[in-house]
Amino acid sequence: MSSGWILYAVGVLNLVGFYAIVAMVLNLEAGWGGMWDLGLAGLLGVGGYFYVLSTVDSSGLDLNFTPGWPMLLGILGSGIVTAFVAFLIGIPTLRLRGEYFLITTFAFAEMIRQLIINESDFTNGTLGITSIDRPFATTFGGIKYEWVLLGITVLSVLAIYLLMRRLGHAPYGRNMRSFRDNETLALALGKNVTRRRIQIFVLAGFLLGIVAPLYVWHIRAIVPSMYGPDITFTAWTALVVGGIGSIGGSILGALLLVGFTQGLLFIPVSAEYTNVLSAMPQLLLGIALILIMRWRPDGLIPERFSFTPGNRGSGGRFLRSRAAAIGGLLGRGSPEQSGRS
Amino acid sequence: MALLEVENLVKSFGGLRAVDDVSLSAEAGKVTALIGPNGAGKTTVFNVVTGFDLRDSGAIRFDDEPIPPKRKPWQVARLGMVRTFQTPVGFPKLTVLENLEVSGSEGSTESLREALAGPRAWGDEVGKVDRRAEELLRELGLWERCDVVLEDLSVGENKLLEFARQLINDPRLLMLDEPASGVDPAAIGRLSSLIRRLRDQGLGLLVIDHNLSFILGIADYVYVLAEGAVIAEGTPDEIARHPRVLEIYLGKGEVAA
Amino acid sequence: MLLQVIIFGLVQGSILALATVGFAMTRQTEGFLNIAHGQYLAIGAFLGLVYFDNLGANVFVAGLLVVLSMGVIGVAIARIVFDPVRKRGALVLLFTSIGLAYALYGAIIAIFGTDVKLFSVSFGKSFAIGSASITVGEIIIIALALLTVAGLWLFLTFTRLGMWVRAVASNPELARVRGIRVQIVSSTVWFIAAGLAGLAGMLLAIIGSASPELGWANILVILAVAVMGGVGRIYAVIAAGLLLGLVMSLSAEVIPIAYQTVVAFGVLVLVLVVRPEGLFAVKRRREIAAA
Repeated sequence: MSSGWILYAVGVLNLVGFYAIVAMVLNLEAGWGGMWDLGLAGLLGVGGYFYVLSTVDSSGLDLNFTPGWPMLLGILGSGIVTAFVAFLIGIPTLRLRGEYFLITTFAFAEMIRQLIINESDFTNGTLGITSIDRPFATTFGGIKYEWVLLGITVLSVLAIYLLMRRLGHAPYGRNMRSFRDNETLALALGKNVTRRRIQIFVLAGFLLGIVAPLYVWHIRAIVPSMYGPDITFTAWTALVVGGIGSIGGSILGALLLVGFTQGLLFIPVSAEYTNVLSAMPQLLLGIALILIMRWRPDGLIPERFSFTPGNRGSGGRFLRSRAAAIGGLLGRGSPEQSGRS
Repeated sequence: MALLEVENLVKSFGGLRAVDDVSLSAEAGKVTALIGPNGAGKTTVFNVVTGFDLRDSGAIRFDDEPIPPKRKPWQVARLGMVRTFQTPVGFPKLTVLENLEVSGSEGSTESLREALAGPRAWGDEVGKVDRRAEELLRELGLWERCDVVLEDLSVGENKLLEFARQLINDPRLLMLDEPASGVDPAAIGRLSSLIRRLRDQGLGLLVIDHNLSFILGIADYVYVLAEGAVIAEGTPDEIARHPRVLEIYLGKGEVAA
Repeated sequence: MLLQVIIFGLVQGSILALATVGFAMTRQTEGFLNIAHGQYLAIGAFLGLVYFDNLGANVFVAGLLVVLSMGVIGVAIARIVFDPVRKRGALVLLFTSIGLAYALYGAIIAIFGTDVKLFSVSFGKSFAIGSASITVGEIIIIALALLTVAGLWLFLTFTRLGMWVRAVASNPELARVRGIRVQIVSSTVWFIAAGLAGLAGMLLAIIGSASPELGWANILVILAVAVMGGVGRIYAVIAAGLLLGLVMSLSAEVIPIAYQTVVAFGVLVLVLVVRPEGLFAVKRRREIAAA
C-alpha cells in the first residue's frame, strides 16, 4: 500500500513540474511582459493535440492527420505550430489593453477547445485518444514509468528555469519589464513595444507547445476536457501564489498549490463525501486565490529586480547583487536592493 | 533649414477645439518656444506632432519628409524628433544609470535572440551604452548620482534625467514640455545654460513653458498660443512688447523679462 | 422555418440579456469584471430547483424566490469578498472574482453533485404564428426580459436611488463628493445584478438543464455580450444580448450547432478588433487599443 502512495506522490510531482513550467512561461509573458494571458489552455491544447496526432500509431484510428512521426519531431513540431498559433492570436489581440486582452485570449482558448471537439475527423472529438506512447517507456525495465517521467520532468523544469534566468539577466529582460511599467515613455524613446510583445508571446507559444507533451504523458490520454479553463487558472494561481515576477516563485507556487490540491485527492473517503472530494481542487484553488489576493497580492505587484549583465564592457564597475525572490509567501514583499560593492 | 514644419494643425476633443489651425516651424541650432496660458493647447500640439494623439487635419513635416497621421509615437521618435514629459516618471524602479541603459539600448541588447544567446552576445553593447551614459551624465552633473534610484532624486535631478533619457539617443529635435516647472530659481539658470549649450551644439529645441522670463531668456523665436490658436509670433523682444501677450501675462501676474 | 429560428433566438437572447445586464452594471459601478457572475447563474439554477422540486413552490414563486435570495447572496458576497480588496485595483478584484468563481463552482459540486438535473415544468400551450409555433413559456421568457428592461429603465430614470446609481456609474468620485451614499448604491446594484443572474440561470435550466458547468459554460458568452454592447452601457448590452442570441440561433441553420459558441466568440474577437468601444458606442477607441 505504501508503494502505491509513493507512486501517487511521484505522479503528483510530475504534475507539479508541468505546472511549474507553465507558470514560468506565464511569468515571462504576464509577469515580465505585462500580458495577462488567459488563453493558456488553448495553446496547450494546440500543442498537445499536434504532438499526439503527429506521433500516434494510426492503426485503429481513422483520422485525417496521423503521419506517425518520431517523438522528437512531434515535440518540435508542436512547438512551432503552437508558436504560429500564438502569432496569429497575437496580431489582433496584442493591441488591446488590460481586460480586453484578457477576455480575447480567454475567448480564443475556448474557441480552440470547441474546434478540437467538433473537428472529430482530425481529433477524434470528445472520445479523444488513449494509450499514448511515452518516451523511454521500456528502456528502464523494472522501474515504474512515473519515475521515468519524473526524470524527464525535472530536467525540463531545470532547462526552462535556466532559460528564464538567462533571459531575465539580459538587458532585454530588464528592458521588457521597464517598458511594462512605463509604456508611454518607452514609446517616446522610440521602442517598438508591440513588436517586443509579439516576440515574447510567440516565444511563450513555442515553450507551451514543447511542454504540452508532458501533460499528455502524465495522463496517458488526450481529450478536449483536459484543456478547459481549469488548466489556465491553475497555472495562474500557482504563479500568483509563488509571486509574479519571480521565476523561483513559479516553481514554489506550483509545488504548493498542485501538491496540496492533488495530494488531498488521495485521501480515502466514504461514498457520501465523494462529491465534496472531487470538488476539492477547484474549491481550494478558488479559496487560495481569494486569500492570496487579500493578504499577499504582492504577487500582482511585480518584484523589483536589478540584474547584473555578466559582462559590462567598462570592466564590471557596477556590480549590484541580484536578489532573487524566493516567493511571495516567504519573507516580506520585495527583495532588498543591496548597495554598491 | 526648418527641421519641423507644422501647417494648419487642428485637433478637437469632443466639441472642444484644443488646437485650432496652428502653424509653426522649428529649426536646427535654434530654440523655438511655445508659450501661452494653461489650457492653451501647447501639450496637445506636442502630443499630435509626436504621434501620441491623432490629428484631425493639418500637415506635419520633419526634415522635409511628411509625417502621415497614422505614424506611431515610436516611429516618430526614431526619426529623431523626441519629447519629454511634464511630470517625468521615468523608470522609477531603476537607478539613474540603469534608466539611461534602458533608454539607450538598441542593437543586440534589444534582440530576443541575442538575449537567449547570453552575455557574450550583448556584453559589448552594454559597455558602449554605459560609456555614452557616463559622458552624458558627467556633462549634466549627474554622474555622482548614477547609482541612485529615481525616488531618491530631487525634482531638479529628475528633470535633468528626463533630458538625459532623450539625449542619449542623439536626437535632432528635442521637444521639452515645461522643463522649468517645479525647478527652484537657482537651478533655472543652470537649466537655461544647458539648453543654450545644446542649441549651440546644433540640436533643435522646441520648448513649452509658461514661465515667461525663463522663455524669453533662452528662445530665438516664440509662438504664443491662446485657446488653441497662435495669437502672436516673433523674436523674444517683439513678444515682450506685444500688447496681446502683455494682456494675457500681466493679468496672470507673470513677470516679463 | 426562419420564424422558428428567430423565435428561439429571441428566447435565447432574452435570457442572455438578463444574464449580462447585471454584469455590465457591476462593471460600471464597481469597476471590475466579476467573473463569478457566471456562477451566480448556476447557483440560481440550482436554487430554483430546490424551491421548485424540494419545496414544491410553483415555478413563478420559485423564480421570485430565486431573484430575492440571489440578490441577498450577491450583496453578501460583495461585502465579504470584494470589499476588503476594493482598494487594490481592478486586476486584484478580477482575480479575486476568478477565485470566487472556482470556490462557488466547487461548492455547487460539493452540495449538488455533478449530475445534470432537469426542470420538470411544462411550457404550456403552443400557439401557431405562420409556419412557426411559440409556447406560453417562451412568451413569458421574452416578456420577462422586456419587463425587466422596462422596470430597470423606470427605476434608473424616475427613482432617487436609480439616479444615484446612474451618477455612480458615470463618475464615482464626483458622486461621492456630492454626498451620494456609494455603499447603498453598491448594494443595490449587486442585488439587482445577482438577482437577475439567478433568474437567468433558472430560465436556462428550464429551457435546457441545470448542471454545475452552467457557470463556466456561460461566462464567456456573457463577456462577449458585454464587450459587444460596450461594457457598462446597460441598454446597449441588452440589445447586444438579443442580437447575439439571434445571431447564434441563425448561424445554427448554416453551421453545425456545436459551433454556436465559436460563432459567438468569433463575433467577439471581430468586434474587439474592429470596434472595441462596442457596437453601439460613439466614444473613441484610443482608451481601449494602444496608441
